[in-house]
Amino acid sequence: MITALLTGAVLWSLLVQTLPPILLGAVTAAGAAVAFFFRRHHSHGPVAIDSLARRSLLCEENAFWKTGVSVLLLILSTASPTPLPPLLLFGFLSAVTVLAGKIPLKKYFSLLWLPAAFLLLSTLTLLWDFYRVLPENEVLSLPFFGGWLSVTKASQSLGRLVLARALGAVSCLYFLSLSTPLPELFWVLRRVHVPEVVLDLCMLIYRYLFILLATAHDMRDSAASRLGYATLLKSFRTTGLVYGRLLANSFRRAGHCFDAMESRCYTGKIAFLTQRKPLTGKVICLLSIPLAGMTFGMFLT
Amino acid sequence: MNELLRFENVSFHYDGGEREALFPLSVRLFEGEKIAVLGSNGAGKSTFFLLANGVLTPERGTIFLKGQPVGKKEKERLALRKSIGLVFQDPDVQLLAGTVEEEISFGPINLGLPEKEVRRRVEEALNSLHLTSYRNRGPQYLSGGEKRRVAIADILAMEPDMMLLDEPSSNLDPAGRALLETTLDTLHQKGITLVVATHDVDFAWRWADRILVFHQGELKKDGPPLEIFKDEPLLSHCGLELPLLWRVAQALSIPVFRSPEELSNYKIGRKIL
Repeated sequence: MITALLTGAVLWSLLVQTLPPILLGAVTAAGAAVAFFFRRHHSHGPVAIDSLARRSLLCEENAFWKTGVSVLLLILSTASPTPLPPLLLFGFLSAVTVLAGKIPLKKYFSLLWLPAAFLLLSTLTLLWDFYRVLPENEVLSLPFFGGWLSVTKASQSLGRLVLARALGAVSCLYFLSLSTPLPELFWVLRRVHVPEVVLDLCMLIYRYLFILLATAHDMRDSAASRLGYATLLKSFRTTGLVYGRLLANSFRRAGHCFDAMESRCYTGKIAFLTQRKPLTGKVICLLSIPLAGMTFGMFLT
Repeated sequence: MNELLRFENVSFHYDGGEREALFPLSVRLFEGEKIAVLGSNGAGKSTFFLLANGVLTPERGTIFLKGQPVGKKEKERLALRKSIGLVFQDPDVQLLAGTVEEEISFGPINLGLPEKEVRRRVEEALNSLHLTSYRNRGPQYLSGGEKRRVAIADILAMEPDMMLLDEPSSNLDPAGRALLETTLDTLHQKGITLVVATHDVDFAWRWADRILVFHQGELKKDGPPLEIFKDEPLLSHCGLELPLLWRVAQALSIPVFRSPEELSNYKIGRKIL
């Protein structure tokens, strides 16, 4: 609900006096409705993104190419001089992720909720500013403690540009993270010579994050079943106990895990067999289009 | 029979003494055996396995691998780990990689094998444990029984002479247990010597051709199953039960059988009931 109101407010202040009133009302209402319809579902987290990435049809494509193009698009999107190309990029990459990768549309939008909340709030602060006297070129003003809170033409165009760039960038990152499981990303980083130690640590953290989350979840459930969260005071105490125990458990577990690695002849280097994923024509085509478009967009003014 | 592994007066204590210790232990394990290790919690089974695998080094005494003493140097312990594989009780402790295929490749790659050989071994381990359709799945999303099979495949791909399995049937449903026994048979047919730590006396009676009984860090008895389960004072001292088929045989005053099938054949033949 809050996101829907926020979306409406941002769209209204972004577009006021640039569109006829009826169209403005329609766009605002449509934005708010979309935000409301795709509001956040619970039980999201790093695990959800990872399992979606594994189920994506684009998971079978070459990770090196996907990562490389995503990073390039990210740079082009944040450097774009006009708002239109990044917006088109957002639409295109979202379509690729949802249609070509077969990620459910509802899941995709509800995952967008988190960055969207940040984006909308920061756009709002960019748009509205406090002035002692009514500024020139103002399009929307509210009296505020003897001065004015106003949106100006300049802040509107800045807001549009920033919002568009950020949306484009988010869609690049979502395309990558919803089509490439983390271990493959580590493999790409290894190929571009990121130090081994860093990657080994990433690998271990990734693996044990799942164990840690599962352990924490079980401990919380069992504490809840014994009424550990019955009152506010009790829930503070229980939370402390659970996290304290979690640390002790994790240390013990880490010891066992190291034993298990040693028992498989681990001598200080973590390496796996990587599956070769050839570059296919499909993904080259899919990603060349936005790349060409964005490069062209750099020369627009 | 060729001797694979020999413990001579091996003892070990953990710092702080909270976990199970092992007192002077002497035992010889031979090629092709199917050994069950029985004992209650804290009897020293896991310590025995960690020592045999070279993760722990003995405080006193010596371990011999194929007649050669194993020293304390990292290289010698590595030789032990290559030849003796250990499947941990909790598969989650062992599983490491992002996909099943990568996971199984961890051991062979650590052995320093060329990529082609690693690939061959991974394929073979996937086939032997019927995991081919899981190859691209994340181990963290598998069920308990599937995780266990991946953990066994991990070690199988290292092609050890002997495999130690620490309570492989814990947390498995009945179907998982039945599958596990088939898996053990497959491994044995491949010529791998098997040592299985378990609480399940019925399984030990049915499957093993030699049983080691541990109690409070000591090897109490070492012998064929028939001899072990005859020794009732030993069983009650070590907190072990009689296998169900033994109790049935005692109640009906008939000979003891290795499996329920044998028993029902006997029943049909003699019409005892």
